[in-house]
Amino acid sequence: MHSNGLFLKDVAGFLGSYYTGLAIMNAVAALILWRKKGQPGWAVTWAVFAGVMMILASLALSGSESLVPSLPLSARTLVNTLSGPMLYTLGTTALFTVLFVFRRFFVQPMAAWTVFNVALVLMGLSMADENFAAIVMKPDNVPIVGLVFLLAFFTWVATKQAVVNDDRIRQGLPPMEKLDDEKVLVWPDLVYTELICMVAVSAFLLVWAIFLPAPLEEPASSVKTPNPSKAPWYFLGLQEMLVYFDPWYAGVVLPSLVVFGLMAMPYLDFNKKGNGYYSIEERKFSYLVYQFGFFELWITLIILGTFLRGPNWNFYGPFEYWTPYKVEVLNNVDLPQMFWVNLLDQPLPRAPQGAGTLTQIGYIFLREAPGLALLGGYLLLLPPLLAVTVFRGYFAKMGFIRYMIMANLMLLMLSLPLKMILRWTLNLKYLVSIPEFSLNF
Amino acid sequence: MAERKKMSVSEILAAARAQAGGGEAAAPAVEPAGGGAADAVDSAADTPVVEKPAAKAAPKPTAGGARPSVADIMAMARANKAAADAPAQSPTKSAPKPTAKPAEKPAAAKAAKPVAAKAAVARDTASILAAARAGAKPGPVSKADAPPRPAKPAAVKPAVAADHAAKPAAAKAVPPRPAKPAAKKSDSEEDRRGFLEIALGSFMALGFTALSVTGGLFSLGLARFFFPNVLAEPPSRFKVGFKEGFPAGKVETKFVAQYGVWVVNSDVAGEQQIYALKTVCTHLGCTPNWLEAEQKFKCPCHGSGFYKDGVNFEGPAPRPLERYAIRISDDGQLEVDKSKTFQEELGQWAESESYVTV
Repeated sequence: MHSNGLFLKDVAGFLGSYYTGLAIMNAVAALILWRKKGQPGWAVTWAVFAGVMMILASLALSGSESLVPSLPLSARTLVNTLSGPMLYTLGTTALFTVLFVFRRFFVQPMAAWTVFNVALVLMGLSMADENFAAIVMKPDNVPIVGLVFLLAFFTWVATKQAVVNDDRIRQGLPPMEKLDDEKVLVWPDLVYTELICMVAVSAFLLVWAIFLPAPLEEPASSVKTPNPSKAPWYFLGLQEMLVYFDPWYAGVVLPSLVVFGLMAMPYLDFNKKGNGYYSIEERKFSYLVYQFGFFELWITLIILGTFLRGPNWNFYGPFEYWTPYKVEVLNNVDLPQMFWVNLLDQPLPRAPQGAGTLTQIGYIFLREAPGLALLGGYLLLLPPLLAVTVFRGYFAKMGFIRYMIMANLMLLMLSLPLKMILRWTLNLKYLVSIPEFSLNF
Repeated sequence: MAERKKMSVSEILAAARAQAGGGEAAAPAVEPAGGGAADAVDSAADTPVVEKPAAKAAPKPTAGGARPSVADIMAMARANKAAADAPAQSPTKSAPKPTAKPAEKPAAAKAAKPVAAKAAVARDTASILAAARAGAKPGPVSKADAPPRPAKPAAVKPAVAADHAAKPAAAKAVPPRPAKPAAKKSDSEEDRRGFLEIALGSFMALGFTALSVTGGLFSLGLARFFFPNVLAEPPSRFKVGFKEGFPAGKVETKFVAQYGVWVVNSDVAGEQQIYALKTVCTHLGCTPNWLEAEQKFKCPCHGSGFYKDGVNFEGPAPRPLERYAIRISDDGQLEVDKSKTFQEELGQWAESESYVTV
């Protein structure tokens, strides 16, 4: 449907320089490794890889459909058909689990470098696809591509230090941070560093502003909403949350709870270890909870919202054309409907005509009884239940109030992925649905 | 300053030598000239040797008048200079003049300051320097100087009179003198400024009252903006055409851009109705699009979907789209009234105003 010819000519120059950049990067890496004389095998590997990248660069510069390196069409179609919000979420969870469990392997510089190169080459190959390039190279999406790599890098650095520290602590040595206090003199060291950074960042932003102009659109109109209509990239996680919840909950309660929870963290934390140095072993629970909240519930949702949500907020595969006519059957049903109509095979409880307000409210409570019971059980019964089972030690150390706050914050955080899964699997819209008072959960 | 710089080394030396020979008596004599009135009192108290001549000389210039003329001051300044140039000549001769001069200087300072004071001070700076270099008493900056100082610039007529009267007494017992004029002067100061303060104070009060009244009125004016008397909107009642223009099963989208309304002719519960749907998504207020092929309204913001009758079925929208009031006007055209909305979940779609039967 979409001819690649013109597009490939447009993108050839970029791809050529992209692969050339990769080649230079790896050649420099090979040179450094060779000079260090530690790993000659890796040095040769990266030198060869740089040569391959140069070949890819020349192929890409040709701009012809048969030569530009790209993923085979069958692979792209496969990715498109397989991808969906469910698989995306499960996939990212699995990926993070693998990265966490095998962190000792991934913190090795050569392993990380390999992963980095593979990711860059895959991205280069994907960018020969018009639909992928249209999303990734859109000026407002470029920062998110950068964000992915930056986050990966910084997480890697921190994990590496944590792994080293964990090893040292096991051997009875002090953590690395205790050996080197990283003291820097304000003048001249810090001030000069800041000056250089300032100049470099200004230059970078200038170049960015020149080459990627702001994606300005037509004047706003209250009756015309762009399709898809996306929040600023840093709010895309929030926008994704809004798909699964009523606005008051996903737009007001949950974000406030995020802020409140972050503020409460130091008061809930009773673990005195891991103060001032990186460590995973010493604070596994805190680490996992935080990384889950940050990566799973914020970053991956930003990426999902940016790259995979298209017109009508439908889910599109990375190589899929964003047609506004994509039909997705999303016949969502509220829990009362499921319970009363589908399960018990009787109409929803409805107050008789002309009933008083109290009677109506009573009927509403009857109608929503299953949802309210579920919710009450989740938020009221589960914390004590956890306190005597999984979190027995935590409960003893934290005391009642701190434990309850922690448990409720955690359950509310988990309510987001749970609701998402319920939506994808059961097409459940709301557990409690009281549109009469704009109360839905 | 400039004067001081102009002095050559030889001059300084000469002065120093003269100083050394002249003894200490010269120092106080020279000093007050540069230091001003305060110093005169100070040095007089410090050195009883000069006190007597000073006391004797005091009446002389003051007798000349409460306010010495510019010429007088100039003359005195010149005399001072002479004293400075040759301080050793005769302490008794040179001393009276400078000491006398400061005595009346408070009075003169204000009146003749621009010309006389400046010249006198300037010339004398050099001699002070000379004296200082010779190891005499250092410059006039001392704690004892502080109290009389503030009184100096505020010298006014009544103060001069007081000065005048106080002088003989001061000659006998010098130390208490500075206190009196200072006290009197500050009194007079308060009298004058008091008026200003009262005036300004009330102006201030007036100003702040005016400010708060203006602020209050301004806030009220701002609040008024919440109730505009002209709505920059199309009229809430408008005609959309005759019934025949809306065939069965059709969603008319041409009024969306101007009025934000879909006019739909559809089968609702076995009855063919024409109704006007509000183009605002019940989730977060975006404008959904009508997808003809899929026969649904679809919101681009969070993917909410609505059937042709406005009932929500997919995405997060918690309730159906709202209806506007619609009726057949007198000329037979359909008229939509946006001032009234009907919500399904409240059972309002059953109301006859919310639709027109075909």
